[in-house]
Amino acid sequence: MSVQDVIKSQVTSHPVVLYMKGTPQFPQCGFSASAVQVLKACGVNNFFSVNVLENPDIRQGIKEFSDWPTIPQLYVNGEFIGGADIMREMYQSGELQKLLQGVTAG
Amino acid sequence: MVRPEDIKQYIEQGLPCEHLEVEGDGHHFQALIVSREFAGKSRVQRHQRVYAALGSRMREEIHALSMRTLTPEEWKGQ
Repeated sequence: MSVQDVIKSQVTSHPVVLYMKGTPQFPQCGFSASAVQVLKACGVNNFFSVNVLENPDIRQGIKEFSDWPTIPQLYVNGEFIGGADIMREMYQSGELQKLLQGVTAG
Repeated sequence: MVRPEDIKQYIEQGLPCEHLEVEGDGHHFQALIVSREFAGKSRVQRHQRVYAALGSRMREEIHALSMRTLTPEEWKGQ
């Protein structure tokens, strides 16, 4: 399976996927830490996370997958939602909570 | 080291802006970008437009850029 296929499979087999530096318990970057905090504030404690620091192929591949040069990246139901700034803006406006309602199981 | 004024110049060269502010310490930068080109675009598309303006610099020189992207109307409405 190519890296693009692996990513496609990850984002479609889990409702909420966060590509990040480090882990939700130990984020290795302020933007990734912020992304985890926003998800938790939305009541999402159980999401699928991929530590790109341990997966160099995914780290490069995810940037091509979404045409987005930075990490973290949030996917909901297979759709790219945005990075840390967009997650925070959507949380502040209430859009992210709405989007995540009903997809938080698992 | 990259300075905020460098980033400002990079963005201006690739994207017509009504208003542009960039702050930062050489490692982390924050930008407020107001452009007519953002009208009708999603947040993701707006950020992608700025990334396109920055091109390879985003991968090579700029490690952490936080941005707010607004149309002139949204900016006035704040």
